[in-house]
Amino acid sequence: MEYKIEDVEGTFNAQILKNLGNNEYVIKIGTQEHQLKILHMDSRGIEFILDQKYHKAKYLESATAQMNLVVDGIPMKLNPNSKFDEIVYKNTGGGGSVDAQISLRSQIPGKVVSVNVTEGDSVKKGDVVCVLESMKMQVSIKSHKDGVIKKLKIKSGASVAKNDVLAEIE
Amino acid sequence: MIEKILISNRGEIALRVIRTCKALGIKTVAVYSDEDYNSLHVKQANEAYHIGKAAPKESYLNQEKIMEVILASGADAVHPGYGFLSENSDFAKLCEDNKINFIGPSSASMDLCGDKMRCKAAMLKAKVPTVPGSPDLVKDVEEALSIANKIGYPVLLKSVYGGGGRGIRLVNNDKELREAYETVTGESIAAFGKSAILVEKFLEKIRHIEYQLARDKHGNTIHIFERECSIQRRNQKLIEQTPSPAVDQKTRDRIGELVISAANAVGYTNLGTAEFLRADNGEFYFIEINARLQVEHPITELVSGLDLVKLQIDIANGEPIPFKQKDLKMNGYAIECRINAEDTFLDFAPSTGPVPDVTIPSGPGVRCDTYLYPGCTVSPFYDSLMAKLVTWGQNFEESRLRMLNALNDFYIQGVETSIPLYKTILKTEEYKKGELSTDFLKRYGIIEKLTEDVKSEKSEKKEPALAAAIMHSEYFKSRVISSANSNHSWKSKLG
Amino acid sequence: MHSEKIEKFLEKQNKALTAGGQDRILAQHEKGKLTARERINLLLDEGSFTEIDALVTHHYYEYDMQKKKFFTDGVITGYGTINGRQVFVFAYDFTVLGGTLSQMGAKKITKLMDHATRTGCPIIGIIDSGGARIQEGILSLDGFADIFYHNELASGVVPQITASIGPSAGGAVYSPAMTDFVIMVEKAGTMYVTGPEVVKTVLGEEVSFEDLGGAITHGTKSGVAHFVAKNEYDCFDKIKTLLSYLPANNTEDSPLVVSDDDPNRMDHNLINKIPENSLQPYDMKEIVLSIVDNHQFFEVHELFAQNVMVGFARMHGKTVGIVANQPLYLAGALDIDSSNKASRFIRFCDSFNIPIISLVDTPGYMPGTNQEHNGIIRHGSKLLYAYCEATVPKITLVIGKAYGGAYIAMGSKYLRTDINYAWPTAQIAVLGSESAVKIMNKKDLDAAKNPKELKKQLTDEFNEKFANPYVAASNGSVDAVIDPAQTRPMLIKALEMLANKRDKQLPRKHGNINL
Repeated sequence: MEYKIEDVEGTFNAQILKNLGNNEYVIKIGTQEHQLKILHMDSRGIEFILDQKYHKAKYLESATAQMNLVVDGIPMKLNPNSKFDEIVYKNTGGGGSVDAQISLRSQIPGKVVSVNVTEGDSVKKGDVVCVLESMKMQVSIKSHKDGVIKKLKIKSGASVAKNDVLAEIE
Repeated sequence: MIEKILISNRGEIALRVIRTCKALGIKTVAVYSDEDYNSLHVKQANEAYHIGKAAPKESYLNQEKIMEVILASGADAVHPGYGFLSENSDFAKLCEDNKINFIGPSSASMDLCGDKMRCKAAMLKAKVPTVPGSPDLVKDVEEALSIANKIGYPVLLKSVYGGGGRGIRLVNNDKELREAYETVTGESIAAFGKSAILVEKFLEKIRHIEYQLARDKHGNTIHIFERECSIQRRNQKLIEQTPSPAVDQKTRDRIGELVISAANAVGYTNLGTAEFLRADNGEFYFIEINARLQVEHPITELVSGLDLVKLQIDIANGEPIPFKQKDLKMNGYAIECRINAEDTFLDFAPSTGPVPDVTIPSGPGVRCDTYLYPGCTVSPFYDSLMAKLVTWGQNFEESRLRMLNALNDFYIQGVETSIPLYKTILKTEEYKKGELSTDFLKRYGIIEKLTEDVKSEKSEKKEPALAAAIMHSEYFKSRVISSANSNHSWKSKLG
Repeated sequence: MHSEKIEKFLEKQNKALTAGGQDRILAQHEKGKLTARERINLLLDEGSFTEIDALVTHHYYEYDMQKKKFFTDGVITGYGTINGRQVFVFAYDFTVLGGTLSQMGAKKITKLMDHATRTGCPIIGIIDSGGARIQEGILSLDGFADIFYHNELASGVVPQITASIGPSAGGAVYSPAMTDFVIMVEKAGTMYVTGPEVVKTVLGEEVSFEDLGGAITHGTKSGVAHFVAKNEYDCFDKIKTLLSYLPANNTEDSPLVVSDDDPNRMDHNLINKIPENSLQPYDMKEIVLSIVDNHQFFEVHELFAQNVMVGFARMHGKTVGIVANQPLYLAGALDIDSSNKASRFIRFCDSFNIPIISLVDTPGYMPGTNQEHNGIIRHGSKLLYAYCEATVPKITLVIGKAYGGAYIAMGSKYLRTDINYAWPTAQIAVLGSESAVKIMNKKDLDAAKNPKELKKQLTDEFNEKFANPYVAASNGSVDAVIDPAQTRPMLIKALEMLANKRDKQLPRKHGNINL
């Protein structure tokens, strides 16, 4: 199968060449062959020895286009179907919808301390749209692009959850 | 003699105090808000009382309620930890009025230290050098602007009742000052209930060096060496270490003398910390005395061999400090990394939520003070500090390498953490050479380095990741053989 | 040996694999759409797909159709597994004659559906079709009818899911409408009975494909779509997630998914989610998320009739169907759309042995001529009927307001609900206090010297006496008033008690729900 790994350049071809029985396999990654012995495996994770080195991986929730793993403590995202990405994202853009480009979402849960713009204002990327208070820190939420504030979804004193839409900027 | 201590705090510091109390045979009382029902400190204390809703002002800052619990539980002392009510002189006074032993300084000396202006005045009298700035509290933003322009930008806007990085903002010009004035006032009121602002000159490439001090009720004063806490973000410390690479024994003794003078000047009791800024030319400027036990106290404990919480309790009991300054010797090197629930790449925005799995590092010279356990939750209502990872080594390099290993072993699932950031910092040449300053992150492009490190870490793990991925498909294929089980009762149902 | 025969077989197989031809496949990709086989492979477990009827072709002669003969004849059918569970899947193939349905295509689909009902496995259909194959005329229409008949045969026997990742027009849209769940992909799936061109000709109304029958339209306005997917990946993810909650057929229980979430977990913060002022709205979803396993709630019809929430969740590993008023919209009042949404969901759960938990906070039904003239009476009665008809375990928890007809409709005791709980904040009454006082004390208020003061006094009295769960509790209409912090453990205990519940209807062909 062909995989793409987030934050790593390139596409990788990985497959099982031989099943030697007794939980031992020969796998091929790219042009390189590797010896693999599984020590323990279930739907939640796997412990194995790859070319004499021990590794432990956890399987987190996965989707059609994204496998979430934690490999030796490092979180990694793999896409086993990357060859379809260009087609699938053609009309809706990069895994998100048009919504993602207009909506300014909150990265954190918190309380709105101040709203620094009004509907109709022009903003530049980086302008402070509002200030949220979370964990006793005040965090300024800045506009993700140049544009005009089409709609403000919050007002002072409101509570927002992570990923809530704060404003629509066109 | 203190027999029962109520800890008016939560998280790792509550656990820290409980640990020493257990060793000394002192009973403990924990308090908790709606958010903390399942916290470790609640489970480990002898008794635990619910004090209110999640928001700090309804629970951990609620002095009346806490005093009610102190009296109801029969506690004869209270340890305030750090943050919350630890530097609230009203609370200290409330305890004094109710004859409850407040494990910390008296409300009077707390008032003096907390009031940065009065404290500054006391220092000047004791000939302890201070940072150029506004002579008193600024009345309004206009006065702040005029002083800033007089001493010259950049300046720091500081809330007099700030601490722990709150209520401080660096501004470079009038526009930024106006904006920051509002923010600083707001943060201060939110965290400490009060606000008053002063202006201070911002010095370039400064190092933050502080001294642990202790003074008993008989006037014996000692210092327990310095700590360097220069690596910060948004004026909050990230990494602390001792001894400081910028302090030799002569300087240590010289500043130590100043610290003892300072403590005497304000009539301080119990443990506190004298904070200094060291300018690039080697000048030390007194900033303030933090009238509480600090977050980073473990590194001092590791190089001195002392239990500082025990020392606090002993002093509160009226006992004299059992050793003299000359008896104290530094042994080895200690480093602490504050593991915060924050997304470094989102400008350190807090990350909250359930933590399904945690692996806490251990081993020789590795200590971890934390409230984490598998299944706990990081709450959005409180500080983002989840764990203090501390290492000790015979020398700096040993301590640094132990820390890197410990960081690699530390696994926290469910929230973003600052662990990768510390790995990057500790590997830089500048850190190894001890070239620290409060603008370390910006000066040496740490965030960019971090991005690269994260990428190369992932690249290193690509083979095992791919191996794990294809074996996952194999695993499911083998389950296909038993797909008949997914509808097996269909056959037996008739009619 | 037999090398010639083997060669012929391989040749045909390869031709079947490319169906409409490489350039058609490219054209499909250009439009940002995957081919039928690519979709099936993404949906099913890797390597689990076994195709049937690959070598089927049409047998039509008119309109020179013999020159346009393709293997598979526009639809790919077969079986495989999703997360190890057997399913049957068919996908229209747009690369063959625009994915139009022919007599043979319909035969393929109905054969597959027969397999599914005989073996008791879910059916998933992926629609990407130009509709009926006009050349085949009536034969094509009859083909659709046969498919609709099989939809009815399978309805309530095995779960039927439709994914709309392309056009589907005219009569073709009725098959999806007869299935249990429809997922439409944004900017790809469209469904309408009459297309924009005809609409313009007949009514002079100009409207785009998306606006008339796109995913957002059907997800928010008409309720035809239960789920709106961002893209094809998201679509398959949603199907897999949905199936993970459902049993394979109506004789099974839903799969048990063991979680670490303690069934006795208490949440002392739950009561704080209800504002002191009962007129202030709050998000019911927060309450749902707290009581279910692992804060996971798979919402159905998320954007349609948002004044009521329905969806699947797990309690102690077992799937439950949640029906809850949502005070954030229309104050949680019931109306035509929400009655339809909830009724259909309840009847689905009843068909497939899924217990139903209802969370109630509703001030009543939406008033007004719009609702009345459009038949709130008829549509509202569906909800009552659905609750009464359902024999799966039913538990209702009254959280806030439950007034009048809406109190009855939201799973009240005498609709054959098994367990009824209420929070101390529940207000179970015939009317809200303000309205009640206006009616019952009209004479006194008219005669009063200070009507405002008297009204307040009477309202407070009414609240004291009636706006609480205790009158209901004293009559057994509510089995217990519970501590909100204990909601999760109490619901799980009730579910376990009811796990082996058996209840029957009187024998009849079927009732006459007011459609």
